[in-house]
Amino acid sequence: MHPVARHLTAVLRVALGALFLYAGVLKIANPAAFAGSVANYRIVGYFGTYLVAAILPWVEVICGALLVTGWRTRTAAALAVVLNLVFIALLVSTVARGLDIDCGCFGQGDKTSAGTAIFRDFMMVAAAGFVYRQGKR
Amino acid sequence: MKADLRRLVTEIAVIVLVAAAIGVVWNFRLLRDVWHGNPTAPPPAPRQGTGAPQEPLPLGLMQVKELSATKEALVIDARDRDAFRKGHISGAVSLPLGEADRLLPGFAAKTPKDKLLIVYCNGYDCHDSKTLGRRLLAAGFTQVFVFEGGFPEWRDAGYPVAQGGS
Repeated sequence: MHPVARHLTAVLRVALGALFLYAGVLKIANPAAFAGSVANYRIVGYFGTYLVAAILPWVEVICGALLVTGWRTRTAAALAVVLNLVFIALLVSTVARGLDIDCGCFGQGDKTSAGTAIFRDFMMVAAAGFVYRQGKR
Repeated sequence: MKADLRRLVTEIAVIVLVAAAIGVVWNFRLLRDVWHGNPTAPPPAPRQGTGAPQEPLPLGLMQVKELSATKEALVIDARDRDAFRKGHISGAVSLPLGEADRLLPGFAAKTPKDKLLIVYCNGYDCHDSKTLGRRLLAAGFTQVFVFEGGFPEWRDAGYPVAQGGS
């Protein structure tokens, strides 16, 4: 691999992992509040919001930890791509349904608009895709 | 290539399963309470002093329904009295933002500071509930939430609506 690509991959991998860790830990710290954010999307029912709020942050944390440590990098990068694509789909659905909600991406009080969040998620898809492609098989 | 993909999917599935296991165990009490329909006060534990949240946190329709049905929360209508008379969430009290200066001191005196308060107004494009929520937090209440869907979401869901009063 070209040295520049190698270093860029490492930087992207750790940055992406740290971002996921951060997003996950914020939500784990306050699952009930995150359940409120999930409820705003009006996709899953009452218990579903809490179930998602209980589990999703841990997926983010594990994914982030794998990216930061570099263990199972390709799997973690692929998971990051999938997660972000799901987030994008959900955000687009809120726009389509005319819901004006906080995305809840980074815990409560995250005032990011859907458009900004979608853009941010696409950036993360690109970064994760790059890490995936450069990652060892 | 195919084996590669299969391994990838398997590993992702393992990650998700592990996360699900940790998540459910970690939040066992919360999930159990929710499952049994106990309106878990969704709040971040009431914090005192400088640690108190400065922003009222949002609640979804179902949570508001649960909390108001059990009288655990006091639902507050931040719209003006006219709108309140025409229709409000059954059991809600009127505390119009426009009259907050006058009404807040009396309200604060007769309501326990740790009472769960849910403020609403006219839905997602209405910010009076959030503004009133901030004022309530500033007045020393520790558990203030905003029902962002407001009266329209409640009414459209077919939940109990009352008229009159002030």
